[in-house]
Amino acid sequence: MSLNTEALPKSQEVTASPEAAPQPWEPRIVGFACNWCTYAGADLAGLSRLQYPPSIRLIRVPCSGRVNPQFVIRAFQRGADGVLVAGCHPGDCHYSTGNYFTRRRFLLMQRLLEYMGMDPRRFQARWISGSEGPKFQQVVTQMTEDIKALGPNRKMRDVE
Amino acid sequence: MITEKMRAAAKELLEKGEVETVIGWEKGTFWYNSTPAFISKPEQADRLVFDEFCANNLAKYLLDYRNADGKIAVFVKGCDARAVNRLLQDNQVKREKVYLIGIPCPGMKEAPKTGAAQDTASLPLLAKCQSCATPNPVIYDQLLGDPVPAREVPNRFAGVEALEAKGADEKYERWGKLFSECIRCYACRNVCPACNCRECAFDANGLNWLGKQNNLQENQMFNITRAMHVAGRCIECGECERVCPMGLPLMDINRKIIKDLNELFGSYDAGLNLEDRPPLGHYKLDDPEKFM
Repeated sequence: MSLNTEALPKSQEVTASPEAAPQPWEPRIVGFACNWCTYAGADLAGLSRLQYPPSIRLIRVPCSGRVNPQFVIRAFQRGADGVLVAGCHPGDCHYSTGNYFTRRRFLLMQRLLEYMGMDPRRFQARWISGSEGPKFQQVVTQMTEDIKALGPNRKMRDVE
Repeated sequence: MITEKMRAAAKELLEKGEVETVIGWEKGTFWYNSTPAFISKPEQADRLVFDEFCANNLAKYLLDYRNADGKIAVFVKGCDARAVNRLLQDNQVKREKVYLIGIPCPGMKEAPKTGAAQDTASLPLLAKCQSCATPNPVIYDQLLGDPVPAREVPNRFAGVEALEAKGADEKYERWGKLFSECIRCYACRNVCPACNCRECAFDANGLNWLGKQNNLQENQMFNITRAMHVAGRCIECGECERVCPMGLPLMDINRKIIKDLNELFGSYDAGLNLEDRPPLGHYKLDDPEKFM
């Protein structure tokens, strides 16, 4: 769970837009990818030479149901600007039912984080199957754009 | 008088040897303290009382008797009975190992600001009792006294709705200010009948989920994780908020989760009915699909 915190941008304003930033800033997105679908989908995106922003760091998990709410908070604490949880489409879970629980849990958590003042766009979950390389590309591109517009995350963060 | 009935019931159970221990309340150091009492001999039964200050939820103490040989009797108010249901549902206690003596609860009073003796009728109801919709026990073996009429309850989500309407930064600042006051004494966890893991994530040193520093980020980690861990299982007894030495409005977080669960996955009140399963413990194929 430790993220490299040394290369993080120093002292940027929360409101800084990408244009006004003193140096080009790239968001850091932590992606929890289910081993059976999304990880294979990301692999397919790479094999198919699909371009997507290098802002995402994938962490392979056995199932999207493995992702504990604490993982998400810890990622934000250690400097993530966004967190993506991605797994198999409902009905396709390798363990039959894991992602149905994920769906309930993270729908709830997204709303709780919003209640605590986080922008819900910083925390997303998506269903990406092993054959959806283009969808992986599109999700990462979209999320990077959204988070670029929001600027660096300062909330819940304990590193500078 | 409930107190006399309590003593008689406890004495009878202990004399007959039906139960090993009776958990109730007794007078504490001050006249406005009623603390949990653990009675194991019939002659001690006269220590038991029931008055306006028996706010402690006794159900959680059943966990200390998980490995007891005999039965444990426990006095339950409305909220305590829901807590017992919670523990039964989590398979923490066995129904045949507990004897529940229900007490319809008129609502508990706040301890006075000064210790001077005064009329208890003039004291305000505890915050947790003001929004209580289940003053009568929902599960019991024996009921002392007559059921009390259900209190008129204001919209319990009003506070949550007001907070939701605020801007993101305003919300973050508000919670940040509150969480930086948290001293992480874990009283909210210790008192919570939904927090019944044998080893709590926050006590597991090796996992390092929580650092030792007391700073905002660690406090946020603790408070959000605690809320997520009791999500769908919070019985709204309000004990966490009552015992918080810093007076943090923890029920605002729990109620937000309850409100969302009701909106997203259908209405659910934890601990009311043993047959209803907690919303995060099962799923439906047609759950709302926001993620795609």
